[in-house]
Amino acid sequence: MDIPYTVTARKDTGLYNAKVGIWLFLASEVMLFGGLFSGYVFLRVYADFPWPERALPVVPGLINTFILIGSSVTIVFAWAALKMRKWRQFQVFMIITLLCAGLFMVLKGIEYKAKWSHQAVRMKDFVVIEGHTHKATIDNTGHIHHYHPEGEHGEKGHAAIGDEANGMILVAAEGDSHGEEGHHSDEGLTQSEPFEFNRVVFKADSVTVDLEKFYDPVIRDLMKQAQDQGKSIVLTGDLYGRSTHEVDEKLLASKGDLLSLGMLKKLRAVHLDAKAHNAAIKTKQNRKAWAQLRGSLPKDQKGAPSYKIKGDLVLDEEFNKFLVSAPSSVRFEIMDAAEEGTEKTAASATFVLKPREVREGAESSSLRDGTLLEGELDAKHSQIEMAADAIDFRFVAQRAVEKGIDPEVAIQNTWLIKNNPEVKELWAEHKSHIDKLAKELEKHGFDKNGKPKQFPTDTERYRMGWQELVNMGEGKEVMGVFSGFAGPNHKKDYAKHFPEIVVPREETNLESKFTPRWNNYYAIYFLITGLHGLHVIGGALVLGHFLFCGKKMYLNNPERLANRVEVGGLFWHFVDLVWIFLFPILYLM
Amino acid sequence: MSAAAPTADHDHGHDDHHHDDHHPNFLQKYFFSTDHKTIGIQYGLVSLIFLLIGFCLMMVMRWSIAYPHEPLPEWMSFFFSEDWKARWLQDGMVKGETYNMFGAMHGTIMVFLGVVPLGFAAFGNYVTPLQIGAIDMAFPKLNMMSFWLYFVGGLLMLASFFLNTGAAQSGWTNYSPLAGIQQSGAPNQWMTGQTWWLLAMVFLISSSLLGSVNFITTIINLRAKGLTWMRLPFFVWAMLVTGFLLLLAFPPLEAAALMQLSDRVFGSSFFMPSGLVTGNGALEVAGSGSPLLYQHLFWFLGHPEVYVLLLPAIACVAEIIPCNTRKPLWGYRPMVWSVLILGFLSFIVWAHHMYLTGMGPVISTFFQTTTVLISIPSVILLTSLIISMWGGSIRFTVPMLWATAFIPMFGIGGLTGLPLAFNLVGLHLHDTYYVIGHFHYVVAPGILFGLFAGVYHWYPKVTGRYMNNLLGHLHFWPSLIFINLLFFPMLIQGMAGFHRRWYNGGDAYLAQASESANVFGNTVEQYLPLNILMSNAAFWLALAQLPFIINVFFAWRRGKKVENDNPWNATTLEWATPTPPGHGNFTFEPSVYRGPYEYSRPDSEEDYMPQWHEPSQSEPSPAPVEKESDATVA
Amino acid sequence: MADSVAEIQKAKKLYLFIGLTLFFFTVVTVAVATVEILDFGGRGFDHVDAVIGLIIASIKASLVMLIFMHLNHEKKLVYQLFIMGIVLGVFLMVLTAWAFSDPIRYGKGTTEANKSGFYDPEKAPQD
Repeated sequence: MDIPYTVTARKDTGLYNAKVGIWLFLASEVMLFGGLFSGYVFLRVYADFPWPERALPVVPGLINTFILIGSSVTIVFAWAALKMRKWRQFQVFMIITLLCAGLFMVLKGIEYKAKWSHQAVRMKDFVVIEGHTHKATIDNTGHIHHYHPEGEHGEKGHAAIGDEANGMILVAAEGDSHGEEGHHSDEGLTQSEPFEFNRVVFKADSVTVDLEKFYDPVIRDLMKQAQDQGKSIVLTGDLYGRSTHEVDEKLLASKGDLLSLGMLKKLRAVHLDAKAHNAAIKTKQNRKAWAQLRGSLPKDQKGAPSYKIKGDLVLDEEFNKFLVSAPSSVRFEIMDAAEEGTEKTAASATFVLKPREVREGAESSSLRDGTLLEGELDAKHSQIEMAADAIDFRFVAQRAVEKGIDPEVAIQNTWLIKNNPEVKELWAEHKSHIDKLAKELEKHGFDKNGKPKQFPTDTERYRMGWQELVNMGEGKEVMGVFSGFAGPNHKKDYAKHFPEIVVPREETNLESKFTPRWNNYYAIYFLITGLHGLHVIGGALVLGHFLFCGKKMYLNNPERLANRVEVGGLFWHFVDLVWIFLFPILYLM
Repeated sequence: MSAAAPTADHDHGHDDHHHDDHHPNFLQKYFFSTDHKTIGIQYGLVSLIFLLIGFCLMMVMRWSIAYPHEPLPEWMSFFFSEDWKARWLQDGMVKGETYNMFGAMHGTIMVFLGVVPLGFAAFGNYVTPLQIGAIDMAFPKLNMMSFWLYFVGGLLMLASFFLNTGAAQSGWTNYSPLAGIQQSGAPNQWMTGQTWWLLAMVFLISSSLLGSVNFITTIINLRAKGLTWMRLPFFVWAMLVTGFLLLLAFPPLEAAALMQLSDRVFGSSFFMPSGLVTGNGALEVAGSGSPLLYQHLFWFLGHPEVYVLLLPAIACVAEIIPCNTRKPLWGYRPMVWSVLILGFLSFIVWAHHMYLTGMGPVISTFFQTTTVLISIPSVILLTSLIISMWGGSIRFTVPMLWATAFIPMFGIGGLTGLPLAFNLVGLHLHDTYYVIGHFHYVVAPGILFGLFAGVYHWYPKVTGRYMNNLLGHLHFWPSLIFINLLFFPMLIQGMAGFHRRWYNGGDAYLAQASESANVFGNTVEQYLPLNILMSNAAFWLALAQLPFIINVFFAWRRGKKVENDNPWNATTLEWATPTPPGHGNFTFEPSVYRGPYEYSRPDSEEDYMPQWHEPSQSEPSPAPVEKESDATVA
Repeated sequence: MADSVAEIQKAKKLYLFIGLTLFFFTVVTVAVATVEILDFGGRGFDHVDAVIGLIIASIKASLVMLIFMHLNHEKKLVYQLFIMGIVLGVFLMVLTAWAFSDPIRYGKGTTEANKSGFYDPEKAPQD
């Protein structure tokens, strides 16, 4: 029994099954990408922020376009080879196609990685700063240090540290001057793995865990950080409680017990038991009361709506004696981990927390699982320190225009210009460049309103990009197509022209990497290209299957394999086709 | 075609196919089967279970609406674990968030996991290939994958109830920004019900995508000899259109689901407007997203989805009515054209769900017009079915009872929808129980009755046994009565202004309203006691489904055996197969000689003339048959 | 469709030629976007550049569909199936665009402030 028309076409439709199937599938793909493109159009047209125009480096996208078009040619050659029954040729072209797919994904990966490691900050006054954060480490006494890996000492890095005199505090507090030299562990200090200088640093003396909500990785992270600093997290008092049917309250954990996941889980079990038990009791009590109430009503009112009679509800107090109690949250304190037998003393530990996973406050911060840290926010180290490779005032200008303020005035009043003399200088220089450019463009003539026909774009006027920063510093162009292949180049000596900026956390409105979170441009970029990448991978898997497992079918039924390859090829061309649109709208517009 | 083939001729050597035919083991036969009939039954059973689950969720909600301050009775809550009850019930009473969760999941389960798989996938899978004389679907392995994707999606949906956050809680429409930030307090966004809803939807959408590609290809390419387009049973036409609706309407929702997923787990702002503030303060998102975009993408699916629900049911009814009235289907061609036009129009009416979003008068008028237009093909379909019964000698078998009841019930559902098409009326009735009543009249007594008719009708083909008649009647009559008692008062309440999302039956609202002497509150109050009637009707309706459940399992082994392969004396090809049909379906190569509904032909002795019977001398010669077989195509 | 060896050989040349054409158009689209002399419309990116970019992309896409995907000699049915997808995709975009661009207006007339269609009490003109 065989399904008909897998090899030959049906007469009246002229098509074999798989071809009908793939075109249907492609029609549905058109709708999928149609939905996403619609999303792109509407998000862009109705964006209330300056949409990043031509923000991605073109070269990787261009190469990827060539790769995909090339693979489209080779896949159709592979099909032709199969039609002519040339297995060897088929193999060659198929392998080239797969290599193209692999190369495409590698380039995509490089591009993605560059985005993921690129820091961006939006200030409360809508100044946008882009760049790379510095690295920091924390030592076992809880002090934060700058981290400079060998060979990456930009001149600028040292200069920035010297900037303290300007009120630009870049260096950690007392006693960590030795840390500036880098990552080493003299004087008995051990340094942690470097982390980015965009963390929330909180000096806590107590930790309160919500027993229902606590999340293992969060607790584990706290325990590890405390342990690294030689601190322990211990219970502040004895915990009593009883669950379900126990007569007496019993000791669940005693004062001085160390925080451990096992302990928390045990406590949670007791808590949930007690909660379930109490809920069951109260339900019973409630049911009984309602039954009595309904029973006591005259016959014609027995079905009265409950909101009319609920006032007369009497709960049976007898039930209360069955209720049990167990703690729902537990408070721990940070102690110095003293030697066995000696009294532990209260202390505090410095926790370095990812900004998105904490809701910070000056005296208490809550973590994403409801765990509460009490103590003191280390505001100085909770700042974001970065080497800025772009400073963008477009958003400021846009908001200013909306409010009817002169954009130049608004920019002069921003926190960044006021507090960072270096940026102020750069901005002045940039303005003179732009004014010169505007003068130059006047050669194109004026329209009837007396305005020049050509004038610098908003992007040129209000954004200092990385090439420009380098140009202003060196007075020459950034050379070479491949410098900054996937983004601003922080490795070469270009980096020394990037201004050092320290942003206090309370001045920021949003900070993020160049991820979907940063703005809708990156969101749609990652979503569409990600989905497209999945299509590339899926297509490559299918084509790879034909290549590596197709020999048997080739010998038995070559026409069927040719059909399969044709169908796989149709999908592959469609993937190419989507990219043909993606490339201009994401890279060039 | 393969003139250039130097190595092998394609007419022999389909080795890679043969393992399908040889002695499948237990797993292959009942679980990982590629046979469209097994898959159809799998879909049927699983979707019926989901319908039951959705029904149970609804009962809990109905209880809390009718008896807002009273704890759930024992019989309704015994299957929840104690821990679960402690988390989700307040001293035994339904909490607001629990109500929201059940509401969202009731809608999701009923629509995406219950009715669509039952109507399209179960009936479609079982009946379509039989009716077009095919040995199987065009892509049997895809078919199996489609079922398992659906199954995994369904399991994910159900499993989300047991997450710490509970299942999704922002309505079956999952509107952003609510759905984007719902449960955002959870430590791990991947482990929230709201996120699992989206993941499960991705599975379900992939499943229906594979399914619809398969159906359309099968119908286009695997029709039997002589089965020309205008000889297709109406059922197949309806499945074809449903396939297209699923194929082309679902992807925009998939796009929206992916965007929302990104909003939830990666913190993007596709659907998050600037300046969004929640109870926890301003959201740390970039903003500038568009919640309206989500609604457009959702309803671009959402409206065709209604027809995805409807068409299989109307398809079943259109098969059952001619068979039991012993008359041809009246207006076959108009019905076919109607269903095609309906399918097309259903793509351009979606924004009538969005009149309240501030669309301007011009675009509102456009959608109003298309919405009113779409009622024309719907009415043609319904009218044709009514006229088909006119003057017939109707056999009121159990399937026919359901099919007959379908017509007025769906009629009420359709007619109550007309006012909603007009934007001015829509503004008043939006989000009231009127909408709920309208929609449920279409889906529950309408579509589900049609599908029940289908179950009773094709059960003898599937199992070789009839379903029990008495149990059938015990199922039908109470269902008919209680379902009307359940849904009709909703229309009244809705017009009075009863809001669809009041979890405590309007009680909290009344407390507010009496303080501010709100005139709407007073109007609503008069109709609140109807809640008790409706909820009790719902409970009795649940009881009325017991005979059906018993019947399905009882008749499987103990039912009355069918006398022959064509117990209802029907004309379409599925009745030409052995009962139950074996692998490969047909014992002969079916050819079709006439249209699908040749009942009571004056020139024939029998009162029906099956499609596959070779014409006798007296019959005028049939239309030419295309010559086609693998051997002749070169 | 190419079915004989000779036809396929001929078609292969075409495929190669189309591939090169696509490369060429890719270079063109990058050039008009990045080279200052080739910048049409106003300075920098604007609507003119968007239209030009999309026209070039559409030409490329048509070439891929017609030649690589064999639509130039494909059966009618394929067109019907695929065009259905495209038509509905266009409906989705156009009708949504229409709905976005025709919001209920607040206050008198169309002003810059209520162009976006989202009600903003600060921006709404006072009557």
